[in-house]
Amino acid sequence: MSIESSVDIITEWDIVAARQLGRNEAKEVGFGTVDQARITTAISELARNIYLYAGKGKITIERIADGAMKGIVIIAADQGPGIPDLRKVMEDGYTTSGGLGAGMPGVKRLMDDFKVDTEVGVGTTITATKWLR
Amino acid sequence: MPQEVERQYKAILRNYLEQQNELNLYEGQTFSKQLIQKNISPEEMIGIHRAALEEVVSDIPEKIEHSFDLLIEVMVRYGLALHEHQNLIQKQENFRIEMDLAANVQRTLLKTTVPQVQGLDIGMLSVPAKEMNGDYVHFLSDSQSVGIGVADVIGKGIPAALCMSMIKNGMDSVDGAHVDPAIVLDVINRIVERSVTDSMFVSMIYGSYDATTHTFTYASAGHEPALHYSLQEGTFHELFIKGLLLGVLPQTTYQSQTVRLEIGDFVVLMTDGVTECRSQDGFIEMEKVMKIIEDVKTESAQEMVEYVYKELILLQDFELRDDFTLVIVKRAV
Amino acid sequence: MNISVDLQREENKVVGFIEGEIDAFTAPMLREKLAEITLGDSKEIVLDLSEVSYMDSTGLGVFVGFFKNVKSENAKLKLTGLSSRLKRLFDITGLGEIMDIESSTGEVK
Repeated sequence: MSIESSVDIITEWDIVAARQLGRNEAKEVGFGTVDQARITTAISELARNIYLYAGKGKITIERIADGAMKGIVIIAADQGPGIPDLRKVMEDGYTTSGGLGAGMPGVKRLMDDFKVDTEVGVGTTITATKWLR
Repeated sequence: MPQEVERQYKAILRNYLEQQNELNLYEGQTFSKQLIQKNISPEEMIGIHRAALEEVVSDIPEKIEHSFDLLIEVMVRYGLALHEHQNLIQKQENFRIEMDLAANVQRTLLKTTVPQVQGLDIGMLSVPAKEMNGDYVHFLSDSQSVGIGVADVIGKGIPAALCMSMIKNGMDSVDGAHVDPAIVLDVINRIVERSVTDSMFVSMIYGSYDATTHTFTYASAGHEPALHYSLQEGTFHELFIKGLLLGVLPQTTYQSQTVRLEIGDFVVLMTDGVTECRSQDGFIEMEKVMKIIEDVKTESAQEMVEYVYKELILLQDFELRDDFTLVIVKRAV
Repeated sequence: MNISVDLQREENKVVGFIEGEIDAFTAPMLREKLAEITLGDSKEIVLDLSEVSYMDSTGLGVFVGFFKNVKSENAKLKLTGLSSRLKRLFDITGLGEIMDIESSTGEVK
C-alpha cells in the first residue's frame, strides 16, 4: 500500500510547499511533533539542494506500510549535474553545509534509511525513509 | 529507555514547579549528563519537556503550546550540529592514535646504532622536543672509517617525518663510509630538492672519519658548524664551511675540508637545539656550551653528551624548545 | 609573543618593518602577512629586520619561501638591519650567499 503526492521545486517558495506536504503526510502517518520537525528539516535540505545545484526537480512524499510498520518516504529527484564525489559529500564537516550540521550527512541522521543514486550529467535521486516507532 | 527518561524528567519538573529551589535545579543539571550519554538530541529534549509539562500543568495557554513547535523546529539543526561535532571528535581521536603509531614507525625506521670502530669513541644523544623528532642522525661504517650525518628538518610534524625518511634513503644509497662528504650532500640535495615544498628545508652536516689517517673530512649544507677540540691547545675551533641548505636550489654543489685529530681530540656535531638554548636571562652563549663540554673532556664520549644535555636542560628550566641532537667523536688512541 | 609587519609604499618599492620574535609560533602569522603583500608596479621589496629580537630556523624557512616567490615574479628582495645573531644564521645556512642581506652596522655583504 502506498499513497504518494509531489511538489515541483523551481523557486525557493516551493521548498515551503514541500515542507507543508511532508508535514501533513507525517501527521497522517502518526509522527509526533519532534519527528515531524526532523522530517521537514530533511525535506528542506533536499529541496534546497535541488534549488541550489540542479535548478529544478521534484520532491515526492510517499506513505508506506510494511506489515505492522508504518512510515514515510521522501524522494528527491532532479536532472541536475549529479554528484561527482559522493563520499566527500557524505562526510561530516563538508563545506556546502558550512559545518552547521546539515547537508547530506544531516539528512541521513534525521532519517532511518538513506539511498543516493547519482550520475554525473544525468541527475540525482535521493530516497530517504523514516519509520514510525 | 526514552519512557524512563520521560518519567524522571517529569518528576524533576513537578518538583521544581512546586518548590522552585536550587536543589531541584541541581537535579536537572545532573540529569542532563544522562541525556548526553544516552544521545538524546536537543529537539527530543524539548519534546520531552512539552509532554511532561502537559501532564504536570493542566491549563497551558494554547499559544505557549504552539510555541514549542517553533522551538523544536529551531533545535533540529542544533541536534545535527551536536552529532556532527561528536563524530568529528571521534575522528580526531582516531587521527591522534594514527599519529602515535606513525611516530612509533618513524622511531623504528630511523633507529640508528652507534658503530664500533677501533680507536674511536663515539657518543650520541637525540631528544625530540615534541612527539616527532625533526633531527636525524645516521651512521655508516666499515673497518676503518665511519660516516656521520646529522640533519635538522625545518618544518614539523608529518611532512618533516616523511622528509627524514627521504634522507635515510639517500644515506643508504651512499656507497660506504669513505665517500667524500661533499658528494654525499650533492646526492641528498638532489633527492630533497625534487621532493619538498617551498617552505621546508633541511640543514645537514656530514663528516667521515678515517681511523688510519686520523682525519675528519666534513661538508655542510647550511648546518650549524661542527667544533674541533684540540686537547693540546685546550681550545675549540669552529669548523665553518660554506654550503647552502638542502632543498633550496637543485644545482648547488658542496665542498669538503679535512682536519686531523690528535689523541684526546674530539669533534662535536650538533643541531640548533644545542646552540640556540635560551634561559630566563636570554641566550645561552656558545662559550658557555663549550665550557660545559670542556669540563668533561676526559669522560667517555657518551658520558659527555649526556652530561651536556643534563646541564643545558637545567639551565633552561627543563624546557626543551627545539629537538636536541649532539654527537661527539673522539680519537681514543 | 607577537609579530608585526608595517608596510610602506615608496617610489618603485615596498618597505616592510618587521618587529618581534620569529619562531615556530609566530612564523605562520609572518608567512600570512608577507603573502598579503602585493607588488603592483614595485620591483623591489625591502624588509627591515632591525627590530627582530629572535629568529629560529622556522623563521628562516618563511623568508626562503618568500624569497622564492618574489624571485618568481621577477622582483628583488632585500633584508636589512640584521643583528649579528641573525646575520650568523644567514651565513651558516648559506642563504646570505643567494639572498641580498645587510646587517645593522650598515656593512654590505
